[in-house]
Amino acid sequence: MLYIVLFFLLFSLLLYVLLGGADFGAGIVELFSSKKSKRITRDTVYRVMGPVWEANHIWLIILIVIMWIAFPSYFNVIMIYLHVPFVLVLLGITMRGVAFIFRHYDAIVDKSQFFYNWMFRISSLVTPVFLGMSFGSLVGGRIILAQDFSGYSFPELFIWPWFNLFSFLVGLFYAALCAFLASTLLIGETKGEVRRMFSRKSAIFTTVLVLLGFILILYGYISEVKFIKDFINNPVSIGAVILSGILLFPLWRAIKKQNRVASRYLAGLQVVLVLFAALYAHFPYIIITTGKELSILEGLPPHSVIQNLAIMLLIGGAIILPGLFHLMKSFGMIKILETGKEEMGH
Amino acid sequence: MENLEFARLQMAFTLGFHIIFACIGMVMPFFMVVSHKKWLNTRNPLYLELTKAWQKGVAIFFVTGAVSGTALSFELGMLWPEFMKHAGPIIGMPFSLEGAAFFVEAIALGFYLYGWNKLPERFHWFTGIIIGISGVASGILVVSANGWMNAPTGFDFIDGQFTNIDPVQAFLNPAWFTQALHMTIAAFVATSFAVAGVHAFQVYRNKRPELHKKAFKIAIIFGAVAAFLQPLSGDLSAKDIAKRQPVKLAAMEAHYETGRNVPLYIGGIVNEEQQTVSHKIEIPGALSFLAFGDFDAEVKGLRDFPEDEHPPVAIVHYAFQIMVGIGTLLMLAGILYFISLKYKSLFNRKWYWLIFVVLAPLGFIAVEAGWVVTEVGRQPWIIYGFMKTSEAVTPMPGMEFSFYMYVVVYLVLALTVTWLMRRQIKVLNNTKE
Ligand code: HDD
Ligand code: HEM
Ligand code: HEM
Repeated sequence: MLYIVLFFLLFSLLLYVLLGGADFGAGIVELFSSKKSKRITRDTVYRVMGPVWEANHIWLIILIVIMWIAFPSYFNVIMIYLHVPFVLVLLGITMRGVAFIFRHYDAIVDKSQFFYNWMFRISSLVTPVFLGMSFGSLVGGRIILAQDFSGYSFPELFIWPWFNLFSFLVGLFYAALCAFLASTLLIGETKGEVRRMFSRKSAIFTTVLVLLGFILILYGYISEVKFIKDFINNPVSIGAVILSGILLFPLWRAIKKQNRVASRYLAGLQVVLVLFAALYAHFPYIIITTGKELSILEGLPPHSVIQNLAIMLLIGGAIILPGLFHLMKSFGMIKILETGKEEMGH
Repeated sequence: MENLEFARLQMAFTLGFHIIFACIGMVMPFFMVVSHKKWLNTRNPLYLELTKAWQKGVAIFFVTGAVSGTALSFELGMLWPEFMKHAGPIIGMPFSLEGAAFFVEAIALGFYLYGWNKLPERFHWFTGIIIGISGVASGILVVSANGWMNAPTGFDFIDGQFTNIDPVQAFLNPAWFTQALHMTIAAFVATSFAVAGVHAFQVYRNKRPELHKKAFKIAIIFGAVAAFLQPLSGDLSAKDIAKRQPVKLAAMEAHYETGRNVPLYIGGIVNEEQQTVSHKIEIPGALSFLAFGDFDAEVKGLRDFPEDEHPPVAIVHYAFQIMVGIGTLLMLAGILYFISLKYKSLFNRKWYWLIFVVLAPLGFIAVEAGWVVTEVGRQPWIIYGFMKTSEAVTPMPGMEFSFYMYVVVYLVLALTVTWLMRRQIKVLNNTKE
């Protein structure tokens, strides 16, 4: 039963990173576009992501709910020590969500669109950076687990653990991952000139992503971040990274050839490999503090709770996954051909 | 003020914000599908126009509800880590089911919003129904978690540890049914009167009265029926509380002295220091009757409970008075609507429409007041009888900054949403018939 729960935990994490990530990425791609292509990106994103936009973000809620039910001690530490970056993440999610809906559902289209657009783009960049920073600080080894808070200053406990170069690099890496996912996804949703544009963007973000990943590992290694060192010394993890490196070549070709299906699956595979490599080396010790490493499997609730949750997840999954699949199918794939023509006309 | 107070204020503020959007998210879809159905049946373009306008409203409110809800699901842990550490596993079941309900809702919303002219007509309409049903389901599920805080069951408490956890029993706690029933009806009352009020105002101003009368009618029928049921369900809740949370009942009624044949106070100014209530209207025996169905029943007063277990009496009492007052008023307004169905000339009176304009915000005020009764009335407990709020709060200092930030952000958001709604109506009114 515990394995079912763990499966759903990792599954929702993966889907949030992938789908939520592609969603954030769409805003980042728009941010880094020229004036003319901003407009095109905006319309394409609305068409492609609009119907599934809400659903993509519920994975985060599922993730949180599983955490607090099944891994309460672990969740407790995260919630206390990462309070500040999470407030920033939430602020970003709020701004982004409302900006998206305002810009598409405001009854009157006027100058206020300018604010909605910029709010959407900037929060699309900032939110994944803070999300990445939060994850970075979990494994960064700077969290101080204090019994008595009076011996420490506020920044020591609540700021420096996440506000540092390592976390920031993780944040940038995740943001680049998002942009890479979005642009690769969009290749498959467009045609002609626009498709070439996204293929170009995808190539650029792939390059940025690989560079950032390299810098991240190098910096982690030099500044002796335990997580990175263990990661490099773990043959399976490093194997996964090398594999993902090799798979960059077919991915690159697929992007250049604007191959819809292959580029998409290869991009997804990259994320799976990176996530796997990151988690494998340390699983189940995913919080690394100054003193000790905390295992996610410590302080589990009684069996009855895990069992109940597993059953709920199975039932929920059985209801939701087909519906979700149907939604994506109805709006994602089918419309590509018809809308490709429209865009050519613009 | 202390960290704890700011955490409580922040929780209250963000929940109070979310509940407005949650209510609208639960109820608006029903209006939308009724109007949509009328369009399918009559092919009167006014209904199509109305459906599409309401659909935009649903989308805007849904997203605001969703982001504020996402913030809440973090906040429970960020503000009350000790609470979530122990309560999370116990009340996880409604929350995990709620996750499923959110998904269904979001999927259905995707189909509905983007499905015009793409999906078969009936199926498209049906996805609208699903939005409404799953919205109500998520509301009921969260309220079950709140019910557990008021009536904790499904575990044994041994040496300060929660053991032998039974998630199903915790989910179906004794407060669950009355609270969920009352809350669901409340969502219908509040949203219906608000929507009806907005459209009544347009009729009052004589802006496209034909369209707005149709909208008003759809909304007010839901509202009138719900407003009639509300006091009945409220009476159930009160009887329940009399048994389960006698301190809360005593605070609601500002009732200090234990006794039989206890009067009900209407209005009154509470003096918490001297434990007295002045300027009140007394109805003899009514409290005994309302709480236990017997004029001679004994009702425990606040003095029978240790002082450190008293909730803030004045706030709870006033909030309760506001809720019940509004409940009575809205029930009468519902009756007025049914009367006007018989005497149609009322629809031509300006004052008729003005009444509903004035009533528009009251439902939501009652919702907020009702939650104050429930939540403040539970103080100082976060888990009634087991854990105090002060034991649950985050050890992180500086909660005041987070509180002020939320206030500013949510106020700006609320203003923006209001402004957007005005623009929707403006566009609706300026369309040529
Ligand atoms: C439109 C809103 C509305 C209206 C008109 C009323 N209520 Fe209410 N009431 C609520 C909205 C509400 C609520 C916001 O939905 C609460 C908060 C918690 C809950 O479950 O429902 C609530 C709670 C609540 C409670 C506390 C439940 C608890 O703590 O578990 C009682 C005893 C009543 N109500 C009783 C009444 C009575 C006797 C009413 C007579 C007119 C009434 N309410 C009208
Ligand atoms: C009585 C109180 C509550 C009611 C009735 C309620 C009801 C709802 C409803 C109907 C929605 C759907 C959104 C919409 O249609 O606008 C919603 C959204 C949400 N609520 Fe609440 N809620 C309550 C309190 C809470 C609390 C305490 C939490 C956090 C633990 C929470 C978490 C959420 C989340 C995460 C969403 C977003 C789901 C999405 O993305 O679609 N809610 N709520
Ligand atoms: C959406 C409707 C709700 C409103 C308006 C509301 C209102 C409030 C208020 C006013 C307080 C502060 C009480 C005080 O400290 O004096 C509070 C506290 C709290 N509420 Fe609610 N509440 C709602 C629903 C819920 C639900 C559904 C849950 C849980 C699932 C919940 C969990 C809490 C918690 C954990 C606290 C903090 C601890 C405490 O003060 O007891 N609330 N709420």
